[in-house]
Amino acid sequence: MSRLEAKKPPLFISEPLTGDAVSQSLSLLSGILKSSYGPAGRLKQLHNGVGGCVCTTSQSSALLGHLSISQPVLRVLTASVRNHVSRFSDCGLFTAILCCGFIENFRSLNVAPFTVIKISKHLLSLCTDHLKSEACGCRVSVDFSSVGTLVCLVRSILTSKPACMLNKTEVDHLTSLVLKAFVFTVPCHVETNTVLGKCVTIPVKGRRVVDSTVLPGLLIETPEIQLGKPLAVKRTGSNTIKVALFSVSMSGDGFNPEEGTIVVHHGVSLEVSELNQLLSVGKQLVKDEVGLVVCQKVMHPSLKQYLQENGVIAVDRAGLCLMEPLGRMTGSQPIASIHSLSPGCYGSLKDLCVESFAPKHFLRLIPEDTVFCSLILCNRSETAWDELKRVCETAEHVLQLTVKEPLALLGGGCTETHLASYLRHKSSILPASTFKDLDCSQTQYQLVAEGFCRSLESVARSLSHDGEEILTDMAYGHCWFVPSGSPCVSKWSDLVSKCGCGMNGNTEDLSWRFLQGQSGSPVIQGCPKEPSGKVSDLLTLDCFAAKCSGLQVALETANLILDLSYIIEDQN
Amino acid sequence: MAFRDANARRHIGLQQLSSLASPGRTFLGPMKSHKFIVDEITNQSTLICSAVRLIESLDLTSAVGQLLNETIQAQNKEFKTGMSTLLFLVGAWSSAVVECLQQNVPVPAIVSVMSEGLNSCCERVQCLQIPIQDVKKELCSSPVGPKPCESKTGQVGCDGLTNPWNCLCFQRDISATEEVIPVNSCSHQGDDCSFNKFLVSPLAGFGSVPSVVKAVGDRSSSALSVSGGTASSSITRKLTHSRHFSTLGKSHFSSQQDSFQEYLSGPSADVCGCCGLGHLATALSHGNQTSVKLLQSIAAYQQERAECSGSSQINITEIVTCCVLGLPEGYSCVSPGFVTLVSPEQATVLKHFADKPLRILLVDGDLTERYRHLGFNRPCNVRTVLEHPNPQGSSAGDVWLSRMSDILMSFEVNLVLVKGNVCKDLMERCLASRILVIGCVARDVLRAFGAATGAQAVTYLSQVNASCVGNGAWAELWEAGDGRAVDLGELVPARIGAGGLALLTAVLTTALPCKAQLLQDQFWALLCRLRHALKDGTVFPGGGAVELLCLSHIQALTEQPGRPGIDRAVRELPSLWLAEYRSVVLQALANRQSCERASQSLAGRVQIHCAPGTGSGSAREASPCSRPCSPLPCLARRSSCKTSSGLCSVDSVTL
Repeated sequence: MSRLEAKKPPLFISEPLTGDAVSQSLSLLSGILKSSYGPAGRLKQLHNGVGGCVCTTSQSSALLGHLSISQPVLRVLTASVRNHVSRFSDCGLFTAILCCGFIENFRSLNVAPFTVIKISKHLLSLCTDHLKSEACGCRVSVDFSSVGTLVCLVRSILTSKPACMLNKTEVDHLTSLVLKAFVFTVPCHVETNTVLGKCVTIPVKGRRVVDSTVLPGLLIETPEIQLGKPLAVKRTGSNTIKVALFSVSMSGDGFNPEEGTIVVHHGVSLEVSELNQLLSVGKQLVKDEVGLVVCQKVMHPSLKQYLQENGVIAVDRAGLCLMEPLGRMTGSQPIASIHSLSPGCYGSLKDLCVESFAPKHFLRLIPEDTVFCSLILCNRSETAWDELKRVCETAEHVLQLTVKEPLALLGGGCTETHLASYLRHKSSILPASTFKDLDCSQTQYQLVAEGFCRSLESVARSLSHDGEEILTDMAYGHCWFVPSGSPCVSKWSDLVSKCGCGMNGNTEDLSWRFLQGQSGSPVIQGCPKEPSGKVSDLLTLDCFAAKCSGLQVALETANLILDLSYIIEDQN
Repeated sequence: MAFRDANARRHIGLQQLSSLASPGRTFLGPMKSHKFIVDEITNQSTLICSAVRLIESLDLTSAVGQLLNETIQAQNKEFKTGMSTLLFLVGAWSSAVVECLQQNVPVPAIVSVMSEGLNSCCERVQCLQIPIQDVKKELCSSPVGPKPCESKTGQVGCDGLTNPWNCLCFQRDISATEEVIPVNSCSHQGDDCSFNKFLVSPLAGFGSVPSVVKAVGDRSSSALSVSGGTASSSITRKLTHSRHFSTLGKSHFSSQQDSFQEYLSGPSADVCGCCGLGHLATALSHGNQTSVKLLQSIAAYQQERAECSGSSQINITEIVTCCVLGLPEGYSCVSPGFVTLVSPEQATVLKHFADKPLRILLVDGDLTERYRHLGFNRPCNVRTVLEHPNPQGSSAGDVWLSRMSDILMSFEVNLVLVKGNVCKDLMERCLASRILVIGCVARDVLRAFGAATGAQAVTYLSQVNASCVGNGAWAELWEAGDGRAVDLGELVPARIGAGGLALLTAVLTTALPCKAQLLQDQFWALLCRLRHALKDGTVFPGGGAVELLCLSHIQALTEQPGRPGIDRAVRELPSLWLAEYRSVVLQALANRQSCERASQSLAGRVQIHCAPGTGSGSAREASPCSRPCSPLPCLARRSSCKTSSGLCSVDSVTL
């Protein structure tokens, strides 16, 4: 027996945010995240140094998933961002950058954390109230009866990740596919308890993006299927195909004990008895007039042969992620045991056919009325495909969120600069009673508000890479980009053509000024106007629900981190 | 965890990329030089001659190496051709990007201008497409080239510029075009104008195109200028060695092509054999005459079948290759049926079959006792108790063996094709009862035999029932072209077939074992090139025609103002700002392409002098553009630029 070691005392770190190490890690992390942000974001290559797959990405979910972070403070940050992403899919980088911005800006203030937290919560409520009000100038309502705004929304998401390596035609093609797929998942007959369907992504790597397509119904890959031969399917009296769905492995190794030992007599073969059991299940299936048997795992070749000889189509290795949609689509209960078969667990299908996307062959399951579809997604390389898949799934999720709340926010940094200028205006005209309620002075409030606005603007500033200048206009509070190394001109309107979201052009004089840096003095300005222009067809839009949640999560996480006074680390 | 910021002016990833790509340069064109890759630990060496094999044998632990590998593999998986061009352009354009970075061009400008140039080039070269019907027609109906090209030869020779033969090729193509081919008839008018501007004007005193090349030469590294001196005298002579000039108009250049006549006599004698497909194959062969011969017979065989079934495309799932070592390469041929190597014992059984129709069984797994289907988890804690020891003492293995051979005997099976391995004892037992068992047979072969004989593949022999066994197969020893049976020691080629079997085997013979893989690669590359050409119905002229047109097009773009609305970035970059960097980036894009191409072709030519036997004729640039190559280079180029332009915006994070 090894000697017992004395327990080490836990390590106490007081005022964790004041340490150099934390500041350095925080600025490194925020540097990585900021440089990834937006359609011109720089890519990150993640690899493990001994070769193998390389992940080229600028997505928060992939980045944060691959980074192993040792600082407890930063782990709090990444955990809450990942939690936000798992719920909304979108605005992960926004949340993370904003949170870093809050921490950096509030930490440098000479105001007690308690007061900062109270004031910033008040500022957040101003923001959310503004975003929810009709008068908000940075949101647009999404009209589901026309495709225009939806196209903008999907296109903005697809183009926000450059590692997908899409060109214009490819973006257009995928935009229409994602929308089509989404429309397929919406049920035709709306009842009280309507549930959206699902779009299953099927990988076909190495082919061109424009070869991607979307099909209603579900596809199961079947490498053994014989092309050219017509599918002979057994049908029931009502001309439907009876389906049995097995979630249990049918490979004939079910006797395998998880623990303990089985002792058998010589001459007794467990394999044979297991196979006989499987074949009796097969007999039952044939008797019940089942036309299609799908198994999540592997099917014994003898069982497959038996079923095929009796005119039943047998497909195995359907995989876990297909099981839920398969069950819902066919109305069958996944069978989890080969010892009991109840007739109630069978489902039904309208038709079956073979689809081929070289080099893969699929069996396509066509139900009577479907909310399930398959997106056959192609991209040239593995890395780009992975990124594209994540992006397409995000787009689908965003569309689902938008159905619930048919609103979108202006992208391209315009929402952030607009909110900042709104807050600057609003905080200057607050009644004195507010400060009394918050138990702070007006100066304290102004300081925190300035920090809040700067944090928002730092997100917009992160959209600029390679030294682009950022302007904001005094009229709408939108965000404008001037490329680096631009010649000096007398008029800003010569250098800017459109604002970040694409809503405003340079036709009228909007009195641009630099989006102030860290040291600039705040400019008192009026309340930003609602844009007068019509919604153009090339807007950059963001998901409303995801961004509102991101704003909230960022502030709550930042406040939590600012409020930390001790870290107690168990060293055993 | 290590973080590396890759944004320095000397982008390390791009440099790695161009150095990884540099050994691939000599794989361009028909005059490839082979490479030996030596493993330092085992001292084993492999002979390679393609970009895929090169990338496979390189140490690719770096992130960009992995990306490059991924890109090349993706191209290989989808097209099986164009990987060398892809590798080359990856290298060339990553150097171009580095060049731009060093001149302080911002990354968005590089990405945006490069994709603009690339897309514009892709559009521009569409007019060079030649429908394959016209290729066949041209090659068949007007075998003698028009005169103008002859008259220009002298002029080209005198001038001694680095790339004049390209102009010559174009001229030849133009005149042919005007006579026979309606190049892209829908946009005929507009295209022809610019076509003539770029392609004909050089001949009237070397206008635009050579000046591009020259400008490059002035600016570029030593490679071009050094070899430029030697080139001027020898290149122009080499030009006449082109096979295609000879095929098309032999009389014009007959004086210097003695050494190549023997190459020509074969294919040109029977090229018209199979409806022009032979011509297309020759044109796509990039100088690989052996494969052309094979392809022509494949086309003939499949055409014959197609007349019954009605499909006109080459079906590659019905083609397998078999390498027979010890015979000279000239013995390579296509045999209907499945040719594979068998042991002398198996050959003996085979001789006994004579002309008897065989009953055939297909096994879709291993034929061993321990084998279980994929996904079967072997039980770990099952113990068997033997209560009454058997005095005869036959082991479990023996029981299995006799059960298996009983099954085979009872169904009167003569021939078993197995996808996986075969247990040695079972093989011996089967041989003793005159059952031929062949292991490691590809799935497509099993499928073809299943279709022809009605056999259904099984995983275990216990599954066999009467409907699984197929009828009407036959087997014999494979005989070389001159009728002699091949008995080359250990392994003997055997030929297995069945009535109505669609399978064809390309038997590749070579006396050099190290060339076996290489021959197979080359054969498949050509086969896939031809298949894609047939599928697309159109080809590009080779010999650098596409590249040169791109060059002059980029040159023209440099002089034009930029088009706004570049595709990748959503945020529009102001054209005023972009215009500043536009010419620098476009120059880099063009420079790299041209000067490396040029230096590559020069390097290729030097190697002709060193090793005259290895190549099949001229360097790629020297063959005229009547030799079409598939439109794939265009696709290859697209993805490669995506790689390099993608990389220039990469930050690196190492975990």
